[in-house]
Amino acid sequence: MISLVFIAALFALLLYVVANMPPMGDPDNPTNSSEVIERYLEKGGEETHADNVVTGIIINYRGYDTMGEVTVIFCALAAVLAVLGRERRGRIYAYVDRSRVPSSVIVRTMVALLVPFIILFSVYTILHGEISPGGGFQGGAIVGGSMIVFTTIFGLLESSQRIPQRLRFPLEGSAVITFFAVGALGLAGGGNFLTFAWPEIAGNLQPSLVVWLTVLVETGIGLGGAMVLISILFSMIREEEEIAVVP
Amino acid sequence: MRLFHNYHYIASMLLFCIGLYTVIVRRNIIKKLIGLNIMETSVFLFLISLGYLDGGIAPIGIGGADPSRMVNPLPQALILTGIVVAVSVTALALALVILLYRQYGTLDVDRLFRDEETGGEEGEEKGETA
Repeated sequence: MISLVFIAALFALLLYVVANMPPMGDPDNPTNSSEVIERYLEKGGEETHADNVVTGIIINYRGYDTMGEVTVIFCALAAVLAVLGRERRGRIYAYVDRSRVPSSVIVRTMVALLVPFIILFSVYTILHGEISPGGGFQGGAIVGGSMIVFTTIFGLLESSQRIPQRLRFPLEGSAVITFFAVGALGLAGGGNFLTFAWPEIAGNLQPSLVVWLTVLVETGIGLGGAMVLISILFSMIREEEEIAVVP
Repeated sequence: MRLFHNYHYIASMLLFCIGLYTVIVRRNIIKKLIGLNIMETSVFLFLISLGYLDGGIAPIGIGGADPSRMVNPLPQALILTGIVVAVSVTALALALVILLYRQYGTLDVDRLFRDEETGGEEGEEKGETA
């Protein structure tokens, strides 16, 4: 009861603050009228060669931010594996009957039919990310979500056979590795770290090459994010007892 | 009236209060985590709404889109970072919750504290409460 009173008081306070904020959607708002935003919107396309300004900001203007983000999600995987432990190479540990939710044949058929198309959609999201809404993280999250559905319905054994360990383990670090490699390319081109797309610094890079580098970074982030999510899922769903040896 | 014009902000404040209430009141740790995620979502909604423009278009410069009508792209880019960090935090918290459940067999905060006081004897009832 006292917590309800406290929450109500907090809500009233927040409402008071909202009532004194500038109206939403006004172009003269302090958040919308900064010179940085205008520069991003007007020059973003030609400076980053990404028509989607958000992708340009993420990959180029604020590349250090995204590099930290990639490192954060990798560290999350490392921490989860440190807490829960990782399966040994070539084995999985699960009770078959426990990691799978009992479901009717309709659910199983629909999931088996839809998962390939969901993964195809995520490929579109990743590769089309610099000219339409989307990008590496979103695509990776879609793959991870589809594998969560698949694992829930078909069980851990089935889904670890679909995504073999010898592919999953090396690809977990692909986001970090791609980002650092492409960032170091900016150094090699005579600019600063992560400046591969700035024409005045790395003017010798062709625009099409810059677009391909962006796609490469997005693909690396997508693959790495997807594999990190799947590895977190597998380590959470796994039980202690070993039941099968997966090649 | 300005308060009702800012209905996005009101919705996000409401979500924040719902999340905080869940975190404070619920005894199940998983529900506390869900409340934490609702709070995070409310902050994301608030920051995205700050960058909204009346009648604005997506910040994608294809087909000669007018840059002065585009919404603010900066909150969107930063909220993407925020979402990834929130997912990472949730994953780590869930891993810790799994360990806690394996050790004590319960997710109830009150029972967890009681177990701690009585020296963890009730850890024997593992798997009893679902």
